Amino acid sequence: MDLFNYLKSEAEQVEVVEMQNESTTVEFEANKLKTSKVEETRGTAVRVVRHGRLGFAASTDRDAINKLAANVMESASYGDEIPLHFAGPQAAASSRTFDSGIADLPIQRLVEIGGEMIEMLLAVEPEARVNVSLNRGIQTVSVRTQAGAEVSFERSPFSISIDLSRVQNEDILTLFDMLGMTLLNEDPLMPARHLVEKLKWAKRLTTLHSGTMPVLFSPSGSLAWLLPLIEGLNGRNVYKGVSPMTGKISKKIFDEELTVMDDGTLDGKLGSAPYDDEGIPHRCNVLIDHGVLKGFLYDLKTAVQSGVESTGNGMRELFNPPRIAPTNLVIEPGNQPLDEIISNIDEGLLVDDLLGLGQGNILSGSFSNPVALGLKIEKGEIVGRVKDVSVAGNIYDLLENITSVSKETRWIFNTFSAPYILLSDMNVVSKN
Amino acid sequence: MQEQIQQALKHSRADYTEIRVEERETTRVSFRGKDLENAGGNLDKGGIVRCLIRDHGWGVATFNNLDDLLTKVDQAYECARVAHNHEPISLAETEPVQDTVRVSMQRDFRDVSLAEKKALLEKYNEVMLSSGDKIVDTNAVYADDFTRMIYANSEGTFIEEERPSVSLRCVACAHDGENVQQALESHAGPYGFEYVIDQEELVRKAARHAIELLDAQPVKGGNYTVVADQGLAGLFVHEAFGHMSEADFIYENPKAREMMTLGRRFGSDILQVYDDGSVPGLRGSHPYDDEGTPSRRNILIKDGILVGRMHSRETAAKMDEKPLGNARALNYRFPPIVRMTNTAIENGKTSFEDMIAEIKLGIYACDAFGGETALENFSFSSGYAYMIRDGKIAEMVKDVILAGNLFTTMMNIDAIGNDFQWLMFSGGCGKGNQIPLPVGMGAPHIRIQNVVIGGK
Repeated sequence: MDLFNYLKSEAEQVEVVEMQNESTTVEFEANKLKTSKVEETRGTAVRVVRHGRLGFAASTDRDAINKLAANVMESASYGDEIPLHFAGPQAAASSRTFDSGIADLPIQRLVEIGGEMIEMLLAVEPEARVNVSLNRGIQTVSVRTQAGAEVSFERSPFSISIDLSRVQNEDILTLFDMLGMTLLNEDPLMPARHLVEKLKWAKRLTTLHSGTMPVLFSPSGSLAWLLPLIEGLNGRNVYKGVSPMTGKISKKIFDEELTVMDDGTLDGKLGSAPYDDEGIPHRCNVLIDHGVLKGFLYDLKTAVQSGVESTGNGMRELFNPPRIAPTNLVIEPGNQPLDEIISNIDEGLLVDDLLGLGQGNILSGSFSNPVALGLKIEKGEIVGRVKDVSVAGNIYDLLENITSVSKETRWIFNTFSAPYILLSDMNVVSKN
Repeated sequence: MQEQIQQALKHSRADYTEIRVEERETTRVSFRGKDLENAGGNLDKGGIVRCLIRDHGWGVATFNNLDDLLTKVDQAYECARVAHNHEPISLAETEPVQDTVRVSMQRDFRDVSLAEKKALLEKYNEVMLSSGDKIVDTNAVYADDFTRMIYANSEGTFIEEERPSVSLRCVACAHDGENVQQALESHAGPYGFEYVIDQEELVRKAARHAIELLDAQPVKGGNYTVVADQGLAGLFVHEAFGHMSEADFIYENPKAREMMTLGRRFGSDILQVYDDGSVPGLRGSHPYDDEGTPSRRNILIKDGILVGRMHSRETAAKMDEKPLGNARALNYRFPPIVRMTNTAIENGKTSFEDMIAEIKLGIYACDAFGGETALENFSFSSGYAYMIRDGKIAEMVKDVILAGNLFTTMMNIDAIGNDFQWLMFSGGCGKGNQIPLPVGMGAPHIRIQNVVIGGK
């Protein structure tokens, strides 16, 4: 059966998405290469609008096209009545996301890079137990609609993640870093270099008293406030009226040092592609401009519900309808060098990693997390690692007053670029 | 399929080969607020081949196209050759098993129309929405999953198994000015459609808690005596202790091995902890794990002393212990790793009234929004909580997140309730990329001294 044409004859609107993925992974466990894996996945996701109602179904079973078609029709008989229009033909964003150097990367090269990273870390911490995972792949997405969109793009993601643990008596130190790219334009050893640097800071244990103090969030520590912020910027939460930012477009709600944009067109970044997963061209959306709220993130459905246009943030996993997600979220750097920010702190905490991220009522802006990697700053210097410390607050209060934003930025979790951000008066709870 | 699998296993040149093939049919209905977000079904079919070459390593191939298993075996074999191990990898001995596991559901959800599933969920969603003006948003999800799988390995094991799962999850969101609060209730298990009907009371509870949380003050950060209800105690033992007892964390790490030495005291004499995939009808139950090892009760802590841990065949061989059914895989896209099944704190003797009677200032923390561990450090958030003042449950508080160090916190459990419950929460456990794996948790009320609560 020709799925697309069959559905076109039965429904007013049709969208057929094919997702294909071929990848190779090597995994080092406890400093040794342990497992190598090849994956080949292929699936089809379909949406239709039939009698004005939206339906969705997906399948990886190539022999069950009839069942897939029946499922999407059944789904549409209950779906939302929504004036949604699937993508029409539109010019692609200019974004380079495929590198044959990655596509052709031999498994032996992945093994070499992983081995080199482990050697670097064992040289500075012989008792470390290091796990490294390196993955290269080729992803193809195609979107075809009855409205004339016929989009297909290829990406070559290469991602490396590394974690280290070191047990000494009852102290367990764990460190983590990752790097992702779709063009071979970054040093693949960078995650190991970051951990070498962190190890230097974290080796010595020290203590911190509870109280109000300056807290410096590193780019990875920034997730504490970034995750609530992303929830608040999600167009679905705005449409539902549950985002605290609802109705505040053009209002200044944060410190003027804060500028945030979502940019799915950056060459070589993991969140980039010419189109989103609904066939809408990616673009750069300014969300917060010097503290002023400028916009939210939308996919096709929430955009039509809200009377706006999709911002190109429709993201999908095969088995679920599209949902809103940031592409590459970029927090603009400030003017101050990090060294200078640290040298001005008499006593404070550098938060680099937190536990329980995304838990609790983050939609309200509040967060409360134990600090997984926290470093004490004393008289302008990082003096050691602190344990059993937690931070809590609400971003809609805290980010009204940012003391400093660093010049330096770093990509974290492959999707966010953030500077170091200093908040002067935060409550820190310590068990000591 | 059986013949193709047997043939592919014979074809393999590896020291050990296993093949898992799955066929899964799922239905999902979800409402957000008044709107039906989606109602529909998915089909997922695929397989995995895993090969071991003892002095090299593991090789894995996963795929959707089941037509050419021989090529997949060759690919997995080539992958296994990439590594080199000086110390050959062994697998603990297990008896080969041939078995067929069929399930019968009181009311098979595959025979229930999408219309009926949608109508049921719509009713529950309406219960939340009509619970008061302050409920501004909801998220109600019904999901069912029927998986047929075949597991076979080169040692002669061949298991055909059916695994059903049905779940209901309801989030209510209440709003008062800028104050937004959520509450969650869920109900899930390896059952048919009968398991999710008549759940109005559960759903109403989500709405009630969201509304009550609007008036709750944020908890004041500090050290408290905490009484955890069954939901939170179950999550605590899973998050804080369970993950540390997964042998893959320790088997290649001498320091961690020392820390988790059997015989070490973890708690006072009243503390008993076990993991058991063989208890029927729980979320983490299965007769065999994903290496074909039969599930059994695995006692982890006896009278406060560490006496056992969870294994795959590889970690068990390495540590010269026994695998008891803890090698689990999320689906055919992943090889099995060491996981919990149903983890529990055994029933104790203290009544709830006695437990709180002597507490001057403390926290009664209930249910869980989620949890995470980084080895010895853990964090988990309670769904809702109350202050305990002078031995009585007092006002509700919000944003209660418990954090601490495993060793000190376990030692600080000084009372165990006599009101054990298995929890049938939806959702599941995450490890590596394998999330959400259904797991069971169980506990009575417990009391813990000196817990750090984050807060303003």
